[in-house]
Amino acid sequence: MIKANSETPVKQNSPTPSLQQKPATSDSDKDHWAFRPLLHRRPEIDSDWPRSPIDDFVLARLQSAGIQPAQPAGDRNLIRRIYFQLTGLPPTPQQVNSFREDDHPDAIQQVVDRLLNSPQFGERWGRHWLDLARYADSNGLDENFLFREAWRYRNWVIDAFNGNIPFDRFMLEQIAGDLLPFESMDQRDRQRIAAGFLVVGPKVLLGNNTNNQRMEIADEQIDTIGRAVLGLTLGCARCHDHKFDPIPTVDYYALAGILTSTQVMEQRYMLGQQRVMEQLIGLGPQGDELDRSYEKYWTDLPQIKASKKRAVSALEFLKKGETDALTTLLEKNADALSEEAKDTERSLEQRIEFQNALIARLEKIIATPPVIPPRAMVPTDVDSPADESIRKAGQFDRKGEKVPRGFLKVVSHDTDGMIAEGTSGRLELGHWLTDVENGAGQLTARVLVNRIWHHLIGRGLVKTVDNFGRMGETPSHPGLLDYLARELIESGWSIKSMVRRIVLTRTFTMATMHDETAHEIDPENRLLWRAHRRRLDPEALRDSMLAAAGKLDLAPMESTVWYLGDQATAVGNNKNRRRTDFPCRSVYLPVIRNDLPELFQVFDFANPHTTTGARPRTTAATQGLFILNDEMIMDLAVATAQRHWITDGSDGNIFRLDRLFELILNNHPTEEERAELLSFISNTEKRLIDEGDTDPTLRAWSIACHAMFSLSRFQFLE
Amino acid sequence: MNCNQFNYSTTRRDMLRACACGFGQVALSAITGRHALAAAPNRALKPSTPNIPHLNPRAKRIIFLFMWGGPSHVDLFDPKKHLNENAGKQLSGKDVGSDREKLGEILGSPFQFAQHGESGIWMSELFPNLARHADKLCVVRSIHTEGQAHGEALLRLHTGQANLVRPSVGAWVSYGLGCENENLPAFITISPPRGHGGVQNYGNAFLPALHQGTSIGSAEIPISKAVIHNLVNSRLNASLQRSQLDLIQSLNQKHLRNAKVDQGIEGLIDSYELAFRMQSTMPQIMNLDNEPKKTLDLYGVGSEPTDNFARQCLLARKFAERGVRYIQVSTDYTWDHHQKVKQGHIDESAKVDQPIAGLLEDLDQRGLLEDTLVLWGGEFGRTPMVENGDGRNHHPQAFTMWLAGGGVRGGLTYGTTDDFGYHPVEHPVHMHDLHATLLYSLGLDHKQLTFRHAGRDFRLTDVYGEVVHDILA
Repeated sequence: MIKANSETPVKQNSPTPSLQQKPATSDSDKDHWAFRPLLHRRPEIDSDWPRSPIDDFVLARLQSAGIQPAQPAGDRNLIRRIYFQLTGLPPTPQQVNSFREDDHPDAIQQVVDRLLNSPQFGERWGRHWLDLARYADSNGLDENFLFREAWRYRNWVIDAFNGNIPFDRFMLEQIAGDLLPFESMDQRDRQRIAAGFLVVGPKVLLGNNTNNQRMEIADEQIDTIGRAVLGLTLGCARCHDHKFDPIPTVDYYALAGILTSTQVMEQRYMLGQQRVMEQLIGLGPQGDELDRSYEKYWTDLPQIKASKKRAVSALEFLKKGETDALTTLLEKNADALSEEAKDTERSLEQRIEFQNALIARLEKIIATPPVIPPRAMVPTDVDSPADESIRKAGQFDRKGEKVPRGFLKVVSHDTDGMIAEGTSGRLELGHWLTDVENGAGQLTARVLVNRIWHHLIGRGLVKTVDNFGRMGETPSHPGLLDYLARELIESGWSIKSMVRRIVLTRTFTMATMHDETAHEIDPENRLLWRAHRRRLDPEALRDSMLAAAGKLDLAPMESTVWYLGDQATAVGNNKNRRRTDFPCRSVYLPVIRNDLPELFQVFDFANPHTTTGARPRTTAATQGLFILNDEMIMDLAVATAQRHWITDGSDGNIFRLDRLFELILNNHPTEEERAELLSFISNTEKRLIDEGDTDPTLRAWSIACHAMFSLSRFQFLE
Repeated sequence: MNCNQFNYSTTRRDMLRACACGFGQVALSAITGRHALAAAPNRALKPSTPNIPHLNPRAKRIIFLFMWGGPSHVDLFDPKKHLNENAGKQLSGKDVGSDREKLGEILGSPFQFAQHGESGIWMSELFPNLARHADKLCVVRSIHTEGQAHGEALLRLHTGQANLVRPSVGAWVSYGLGCENENLPAFITISPPRGHGGVQNYGNAFLPALHQGTSIGSAEIPISKAVIHNLVNSRLNASLQRSQLDLIQSLNQKHLRNAKVDQGIEGLIDSYELAFRMQSTMPQIMNLDNEPKKTLDLYGVGSEPTDNFARQCLLARKFAERGVRYIQVSTDYTWDHHQKVKQGHIDESAKVDQPIAGLLEDLDQRGLLEDTLVLWGGEFGRTPMVENGDGRNHHPQAFTMWLAGGGVRGGLTYGTTDDFGYHPVEHPVHMHDLHATLLYSLGLDHKQLTFRHAGRDFRLTDVYGEVVHDILA
């Protein structure tokens, strides 16, 4: 049984006989490494190198391959690495200095703890989850309608990371937050917003058969949960038993039943017609009421417009004395004339006045739509939750046998019939994902620690972070993976404590230094003989340029898409486009599917249509074009030069250059670099003077700052 | 040829010599032995120079002329006398093999059809210029697809799928063939639609980013005002920028020397060089000022209503000439005639007829048509039934596209629809079949051109698609 839990009413159901005859998965299926129970073994190490058990595992593999681990990274590189990994921002020169001057043995710990508790941690690490949750502010696919309320889910994720909500609870709220008990309206709303995880996926909206759409939505959810949480490509089992992993079609439809018993779409009136859209639910005490009256306004609007048109005709008839026409109109539409204006006792002037007042009232309604009430994208259980039929070859209209709702057999014990009658089963699913005893918990823990490792170290222990199946890669350090998974579970699924544990190892703090012998033996650095050198992701790239320029606003943002129409990308007359000029952190910029900010598009941001555990790492000419020519980057270079111009005007070029260099690159230039930069600046200044430039000195320094933003040393983490 | 003759390259620089329009990962990886390139960014494969396809290619490149909105096949290339004879009557489902009893009122075509060329290709009066090239065309009347709405149909046309994000045809071609010109991308899309899937229609999805289509402008902007993003530095002249770049590269080289081996830093250094070269190459191509008047007139540049599409077609020719592999040219969202299909089609045809004819003639004169496949069509056709009194609705069940040049059998009409143009009845060609055929004409086997992603090998045609050999010479 699943952990006893008051929210999990349990009912015993016997599975249908036909499905009992042949076990869907056998013991040999469970013999894949990812499905085995977590191992408990530690290497024997005789060395003073390790600082933690994690280092023992790493050193053991290095020793058996005959490789020496790299020297520790220098102070400046290390502090820069820690800041970027934990917050996505560079340290200020002052922060670098105070770290370097602090000779307490726990100096690193101090910094790490401070950063883990800063709000910037959630903005960095929440974004890692948002990549997995295929978060976006619009639908994408065929009709790119705006998700006006998605930002609430984004901010919930950021808050959850900052609040260090245990991962098991974090998952439960995302799968079934709308079904959980609550003690306050605020808690209810937060849990509902969390469950938006199920709603933010992309959907084919127009011309889609309703039954087909239902299956497609469930498929998208299964695919997302499968890859993001379990590291399994469950989608394959929609059409046939999984070719490589022990996931039979019955398991797929057992899960599908849970999700098709969940409603994420509703009828709403938008852009002039009734449409099937993502489900919105009002927040706050009057949420439902406000939502209803808001929707009613739009549903009624065409009628109000028609009434107004008739009232105008009636007025014309009245004025011109066309009594017959007026009578005919009133026979069909009694409300075309205001009651007062119908009164023939009154004078014509009075009647006209009353009718004008009616028209004015209607015009006012038309001209003043109600303010959009606070709402969120929230799923609910359908009225009659039910089991789903297998669909032959995945086609929605070719029904096969019905499958009782349930979970993946290969990682379950005794979970048959545990879904309470009259419920979708999402609560049980939410628990099952992290149930270490009888559910997928051990697999989930492996997948999660591997993701944390991937982000901190640069490569997963299992390189295929979203695929732990047979087609994925095997772990480079299986013992370490299991050790970390156990530690995670024992810590109560605390992500912060896992991050802390890894960052404080020797493994994390090694230099990126090349070594010919080690490179010969292990060119990919799978065994971790040095730190991986990594490129900044687009968010860190932008945020650190804004920071250097003194332009970064650290305040969290709510919606950054409020000004967009219901069509999130320009089509037809709609020329309204998402903006990127907010000075906020990049995590808050609009993520419009099919219209990402150029910077994101060019620098390998996650494709927001689908779960992305490891962003692609590409090099392309468009990146060069962007860095060399983008207006925002050049503006920030000017601002950076200007800012330091004012503060240290009299101290000379060497001092100024060193400050800028340190500000942008967290380092001092070498003699050679300094000479090269200074000679570039003075040559450029001369050329600008010759060209008649009015502010040649500032411009020359700005061009140099732009060059520093373009350096590999700026764009890579040592 | 033996397609297994490929070597690992040790540095990006080696690879760039072969193919500088992109790097990171290079084409044919899947074909050459299924190296999991996606997961191993450090290990670039270098095809023996240049990338040679594994089948006998008929064409080296494709130009796709996309008519956004859905042109009416029964008013352009698929004459149906039954429509005019039965105009105003109910089209019964059983006449066209549909389950529904009544499909709607039949709308006759207001246009005259005639046969053209020695081959006698049927065309309506709306394409008088194109008619002169009838013998070059292979008109496929039996195309069918899914997607009753534009968004789904566009995605299926461009990527083969709608409910999942897949690479576009051009991205697959770029991945499969690489580029011929080291200063240009392999896939360029001129004036692409922003809506109905937008970027996804020329996206790389899970293929390496360099295979994404480079967009020039977008559909709603006249091409004469279109720019490639960040191609020009608004503040530095070329020589000043060069000196800035020299500084950047010198410092980057120092970083690389310290790092000793790092393909990331090397890649960055190379990306700047290529970017700088592209800055001078692209504007030269995009500038039409120095084109001879004769050429401009041929396409209809400078006259209305042809100017905009003429410029797009001329650009397409210039890119084709310089070795771009896949070039798409799109109209604005103007072919969607739910009302006034007559006037709408008169207007839209007038914008594109001369430019398309000019393109075919120009390609032919330059000897490019023999290895350039030109494809024309929309995301679907239009119903034989009336909508709103004088319009037609969306019709993915059957419609016409045509191909020309590049190993295609000119002067051929292929496939037949029923008496009303509702369903294909002979030689149906599904969108997947068309995609398979396009790849085949470039020497790529659609079943072998795969990419490993999320634990599975993906291909353009999913598990479908048959090459239509009958339409190839």
